[in-house]
Amino acid sequence: MHIDKFERYWIVAASLMLGAFFAALIASTIVFGVHLPDPAGRINPADVEDWTNQGFATPGLRDMGDNHYEAHIVAQMWLYNTGDVVDGVPTVRVPQGAVVTFNVASKDVTHGFYIEYHNVNIMVIPGQISRATVTFNRPGTYRIVCHEYCGNGHHNMNAQVIVEPSA
Amino acid sequence: MQAAQTRDIPVLEFPKLTALKTERWLVGVHLIVAFSALSLGLLMGPFQAFRRAPALQWDIPIFSYYYQALTLHGVLNALVFTTFFIVGFSYFVTQRTLQRPLASIRVAWAAFVIMLVGLVLAAFAIVTGQANVLYTFYPPMVAHPTFYLGLTLVIVASWMAGGDIFFTYAAWKRDHKGETVPLAVYATLTNFIMWITATIGVAVEVLFLMLPLSLGLVQTTDPQVARIMFWFFGHPLVYFWLLPAYTAWYTMMPKQNGVRLFSDGLGRVAFLMIMLFSIPIGVHHLFTDPGVSEVAKLFHALLTFVVALPSLLTAFNIAATLEWAGRKRGATGLVGWVFKQQWGNPVMAGMITGMLIFIIGGLTGIMNASFTLNLALHNTTWVPGHFHTTLAGGVFLTYMGIFYWLMPFLSGRKLFAPRLATAQVYLWFIGMLTFGLAMGRAGIEGAPRRTDAGAAAYISEAAVPWLNLTAVAGVILLISSILLYIVILGTLFASKKQEKADAEPPIDTKAPADDPSPSIFENWRVWMVVIVISNLVMWGPVLIQALDFTKGFIIFGFHPNAPIPLK
Repeated sequence: MHIDKFERYWIVAASLMLGAFFAALIASTIVFGVHLPDPAGRINPADVEDWTNQGFATPGLRDMGDNHYEAHIVAQMWLYNTGDVVDGVPTVRVPQGAVVTFNVASKDVTHGFYIEYHNVNIMVIPGQISRATVTFNRPGTYRIVCHEYCGNGHHNMNAQVIVEPSA
Repeated sequence: MQAAQTRDIPVLEFPKLTALKTERWLVGVHLIVAFSALSLGLLMGPFQAFRRAPALQWDIPIFSYYYQALTLHGVLNALVFTTFFIVGFSYFVTQRTLQRPLASIRVAWAAFVIMLVGLVLAAFAIVTGQANVLYTFYPPMVAHPTFYLGLTLVIVASWMAGGDIFFTYAAWKRDHKGETVPLAVYATLTNFIMWITATIGVAVEVLFLMLPLSLGLVQTTDPQVARIMFWFFGHPLVYFWLLPAYTAWYTMMPKQNGVRLFSDGLGRVAFLMIMLFSIPIGVHHLFTDPGVSEVAKLFHALLTFVVALPSLLTAFNIAATLEWAGRKRGATGLVGWVFKQQWGNPVMAGMITGMLIFIIGGLTGIMNASFTLNLALHNTTWVPGHFHTTLAGGVFLTYMGIFYWLMPFLSGRKLFAPRLATAQVYLWFIGMLTFGLAMGRAGIEGAPRRTDAGAAAYISEAAVPWLNLTAVAGVILLISSILLYIVILGTLFASKKQEKADAEPPIDTKAPADDPSPSIFENWRVWMVVIVISNLVMWGPVLIQALDFTKGFIIFGFHPNAPIPLK
């Protein structure tokens, strides 16, 4: 099988390019600490509001000290229960600079959990706990949307993060 | 039994300029069903864009419920049109290239009937609004049983078609000991090996999880396990669409330009690599799933980058072939060959615009596969933006390029209004580029995919102009679609009959003798072993991690209309 000289150069160049891309991905994880979701435990959708799962039984934000927060959110057809509502929209209120770990669980079907302009993008699959950690550096209101089709009212399922400026 | 039969069949001399009656009907009916299904599926596309555009927010005609229209659009275009077109095209390529009829014409017709019954069953469920679950049908959402039964039948029939093609190849091989099979059939074989392997995943999901749940035989399932099975199938699915287009670029485009392929051997390498690497990478569709480990995601991301290589090989091979063609027509200088292509011919225009838009599709695909970058893109409109430049762009435009010579050849009629056909191709190209750009940008601004934005309680201000632009693209694509059906109906009913086709089908019946490929390329046993082992290694741990060995399946099904478990 004959391989042309220029084609050989092309193969080498293409392989190097793909190698460089992959190295950049490794760097994004190791150097910059951006992570994809990793298994965070299981939860029976029927038990989401059960007293044994304290976090999800009372959804909302908990101050863990040292600027760290833990949020438990229940996703269900077709709303989020974040434990707080502002102007009719389920809300998570955090101070600027807060490091928030979101724990999301579904009571029924598969949902999505996406915070615009931040690195939070997780599927919320019944049976699994979805977890993502993010730092809110800029004050403002950021939409949380369900980005997986979850039935009739899917397009109404949203919430918001209000990042309050630090004094 | 089949082997014994095929030995008795004499090797047929396929007439160069006319279609045999058997091939005309067998291939023809597949195309008729494909384009009938597509007509409805296509219509749903632009109207979804009009529905989603904040400036319009129109209701979709016929199927005003957005998610029903979306299910119809996905199932008819991406599953039904493609499968019928590919099976018909693969029969044509196999018979013409090997110059012999299929091993069993009866099996081929049986497969067609089963596939058609499957289509009718699935369509019944969707049209009556009992399967508003989109074409990925993720549990625990449950549709009507006929939806799953229909899909199963389509898959089983495609296995029969693949098996028929294999027996045809095996019979040819017996008569041509030691010969290398021509590239077009090599490509078809890799495509069906990949397809049959991959569809095992979705067949298990549908038969053992979805159908029993839908019938009420069981009450519980596991959505994470089901998603893993679906995406074992889902990524090779996109290559199943792509490989016939690659087949046209590699084996037909050179002949249509009066040149030979730049490198037959590296063409085979590309098809072989895609066959091997398109399955053990599917976790890149599950990057944001909570039940799959980050380590598995990283390994699948790595192999996804490997499967980009055959497409980069293709870019060189095809561009070099086109350069030869241009220089043969007298092109000079570094880029003169670009202007010496048959830009005004609908067949070549379809393929070349397909190649051009596929560059964007490929690059955005690499971006999707980029592990952590996926956090910014997953399930936003960026993703449909991407796959509309691959499937609805590169693949569909190339299919148009094929269709514009295949339809006249099979029907024995001249192509109706070739200039209209050329206009159809360019409008589609421009429309789909615009749509891809607009959807991509809207996604970056946070617009979620698969969402009835026309009725949404929220819409990001920054996404508004881009969503409006998708409606502009929708207008262009709607005009292009109308032109397509004018050309089809015109050719079939208003065009001149021709005794003989204008040109013989662009089929090579022999592999190049002067540059033989290593025989290991055709050693399918070796490659099957590689496929089994690589997928056990890459998918085994993912599946085992997702299975709950203590509690089993505990998730109840739901109807998309009500938050009440189906107990």
